[in-house]
Amino acid sequence: MFRQMYWTHSRTLLFILFAFFLVILTAPLLAPYDPLQINMNERLLKPSAEHFFGTDYLGRDLFSRILAGGQVTVGTSILVLGIVLLIGVPLGMFSGFVGGRFDRYLMRIIDAFLAFPDFIVAIVLSGILGPGMLNLIFAIVVAKWGSYVRLVRSTVLSEKEKDYILMAVVNGLSTFQIIRKHLLPHVVGNVFVLATLDLGKIILLIASLSYIGLGAQPPTPEWGAMLNESTPYFHTSPYLMFIPGIAIMFTVLVSNLAGDVLRDRFDVKG
Amino acid sequence: MSLLTIDQMQINFRNKPIVENVNITARKGEWFTLIGESGSGKSITASAIGGLLPKEMWIAAGHIQFDNKDMTHLSKKEFQNLRGKEISYVFQDYQSSFTPFIKIGKQMDEMIQAHSSLTKNERKEIAFQALEDVQLPAKRVYNSYPFQLSGGQLQRASIAMAIMLNPKLLIADEPTTALDSMTAAHVLEVIANIKEKINCAILFITHDLRLARKYSDTVAVMKKGEIVETGTKTNVIHHPRHPYTKQLLSAAPTLPNKMHEVIT
Amino acid sequence: MIQVAKRFIEFIIFLLLLSFISFIFIKLAPGDPVKQMLQVDEVSVTKEQIEALREELKLHEPIYVQYWYWLKRFFEFDLGHSYITKQPVVSELLSRFPATITLTCTSLIVMILISIPLGTLSALYKNKWVDHICRLFALVGSSIPSFWLGLLFIELFAVQLGLLPSMGKGTIQHVILPSLTLGIAMSAVYVRLLRSSLLESLNEDYVKAARARGISEKRIFLFHVFRRSLIPVITIFGMSLGSLISGTVVIEVLFAYPGIGKMVVDAIIRRDYPVIQGYVLFITILIVLINIFVDICCRYLNPEIRLKGVERR
Repeated sequence: MFRQMYWTHSRTLLFILFAFFLVILTAPLLAPYDPLQINMNERLLKPSAEHFFGTDYLGRDLFSRILAGGQVTVGTSILVLGIVLLIGVPLGMFSGFVGGRFDRYLMRIIDAFLAFPDFIVAIVLSGILGPGMLNLIFAIVVAKWGSYVRLVRSTVLSEKEKDYILMAVVNGLSTFQIIRKHLLPHVVGNVFVLATLDLGKIILLIASLSYIGLGAQPPTPEWGAMLNESTPYFHTSPYLMFIPGIAIMFTVLVSNLAGDVLRDRFDVKG
Repeated sequence: MSLLTIDQMQINFRNKPIVENVNITARKGEWFTLIGESGSGKSITASAIGGLLPKEMWIAAGHIQFDNKDMTHLSKKEFQNLRGKEISYVFQDYQSSFTPFIKIGKQMDEMIQAHSSLTKNERKEIAFQALEDVQLPAKRVYNSYPFQLSGGQLQRASIAMAIMLNPKLLIADEPTTALDSMTAAHVLEVIANIKEKINCAILFITHDLRLARKYSDTVAVMKKGEIVETGTKTNVIHHPRHPYTKQLLSAAPTLPNKMHEVIT
Repeated sequence: MIQVAKRFIEFIIFLLLLSFISFIFIKLAPGDPVKQMLQVDEVSVTKEQIEALREELKLHEPIYVQYWYWLKRFFEFDLGHSYITKQPVVSELLSRFPATITLTCTSLIVMILISIPLGTLSALYKNKWVDHICRLFALVGSSIPSFWLGLLFIELFAVQLGLLPSMGKGTIQHVILPSLTLGIAMSAVYVRLLRSSLLESLNEDYVKAARARGISEKRIFLFHVFRRSLIPVITIFGMSLGSLISGTVVIEVLFAYPGIGKMVVDAIIRRDYPVIQGYVLFITILIVLINIFVDICCRYLNPEIRLKGVERR
């Protein structure tokens, strides 16, 4: 019974999930307090009517910080994905379509990049470049771009041989038209699934790196960084530990769920 | 005294009947051919006999009696004991008759172990004998993986496995459809020899009339889940009564009668 | 055997390439390496000392000469000295590596102990409540940040219950919380993988053939289905070692566990480039070796590849 409900309403489900992300990005407009406003008189207050989530060790309203942090964390992740797609998709399509030596060399380079786990690449790069969100973005883009080029390329390669493409060529469609009308839908489908699944991973990456001290620097509200700076106060103010963590978990969960639903709809293997 | 009696059997698929009014009687040592186009329900009928129906299908009406045992209410365990020992199967897809990454000998050994408590050497002897009966080099095949054998060899190996324990009924579901005609002829010869040797009944399923003509004792014609005509080979093939049988016969290319009589 | 030899040669070429890239990298790193090497506790450094070190490091030589020296030292396992501790990078790595290995192995064990039973149960009881619980676990588990899980564990077990230590190393107790954290976080992914791999195998035709031979369901599952599923799972376990190693970085920092993960993070914060570089080289070589090992295992497990010599890529 659940299965049936799932399939007929999967589109609505996706809609809701993506709306969730939209909300996260725009929510800070609703923040009751300035997330950066320090108020030493109101430190470490428990959650109450005035401060939904309480305040942190510098008296900043946690609720506002969480909302702002959502924008930072999720916004940055989406930005990273955007850049990766901008680089990866055209490159992959070109490489798959053109083939030949360019393709082979590109693949060798990407194989070399992908040999490193993405976390290690991100951490080392951002380490060498120094802390800061900009460096973090660069580091993650470098870590992730390869897999998209690969995915797009393999989609193009597998579709290129199929008969309907041959038909289009025979019918006189230009290369550009073929790409746009016939290849692009497949590519977009696969890429979309991977991107949604990756969104969760990138969010976790950003949070983890910020927790270690790379990436977001105080006073920027970022969920991982917030967990880092509140660590000494966890014992007395446990909400400082729970709330940012749950925020991260929940957001990643939504993204994983969306990715799963998308994958089921598109029936992409692996 | 019949070995297998199927009486007014009906098989449902998710509440819809897909096989109805099936009546089959086969005696010990008889070659019974079930003929029909694809989708006529022949394989489903065959699966039902051994309790191999998938989860969405079940016997909704009728009886199956095998060797004086009522089959319709047997437990899973009882079916499991029967399969391989009293009722054996040979399938069309010989590639998937064997588990790909286990040696053939080991799979044969496993099967004998499942049904008896013979020693390792006794089991090996039985397996070797069966392989020789199907004209395969026993030692080599016993120690090979499935992908190391050709199609015809693999199909003969699965026949060997099926007859190792002297089953009373061998159900061969389109065993030669996926083979080229020469290999197919060879495989059929092997089956016929086996039948002579151990005197088992054979339920032979095919869509090819020529094969029915050559080997059967009894022929039943199936169409859209029902048996439309049954009779001895001579009756069905030379004096068909049902219009569908006539259709089938007219569609098959035949040699002129004189040549045909010389060959058979 | 030829395959193994080929891989080995590829590996050597890879090492050469790697050494070249990291050499370039170190050259590009900001800051003056000489100054940093000599800087200890704000003691001012004389011009002569700087010049002397430059001579020693041959920094005034043309680039390719410098690379040649670097290459020589690389194959002699001399990766330079830490800017901070002045110890050879290699000895820093080697002294801390066993701790990370311990953590990685115990986490792997935890991961296997969780994901195999859960994945198997999930496949066997497909769509029953057992399956739903396992899949829920998989979904939540792969959404949870590992360091947060660690924080929760610390709060619960170390602080509240005082059962286990929250930092350092030395005894088994020290390894329990970190490996539990890492193991649980990683197993979430594998529960899913195992489940789908098993389900695929259960539907195969040869399973039906085995049933037709009268083999018991239990035996079919253990010997015919499970073993088949093991191959892709082992491949993925092997490839996951990369993630496992990256996972140890965060966990080591969180639990103040003195492995190479913590070492590199400290080095990053203190801009200790030789150590960073040493870590990268070390990890890369490790991962490549692991991949080769996994490859060999898969060849062994899949007789088709072994006997036919098919390239698995």
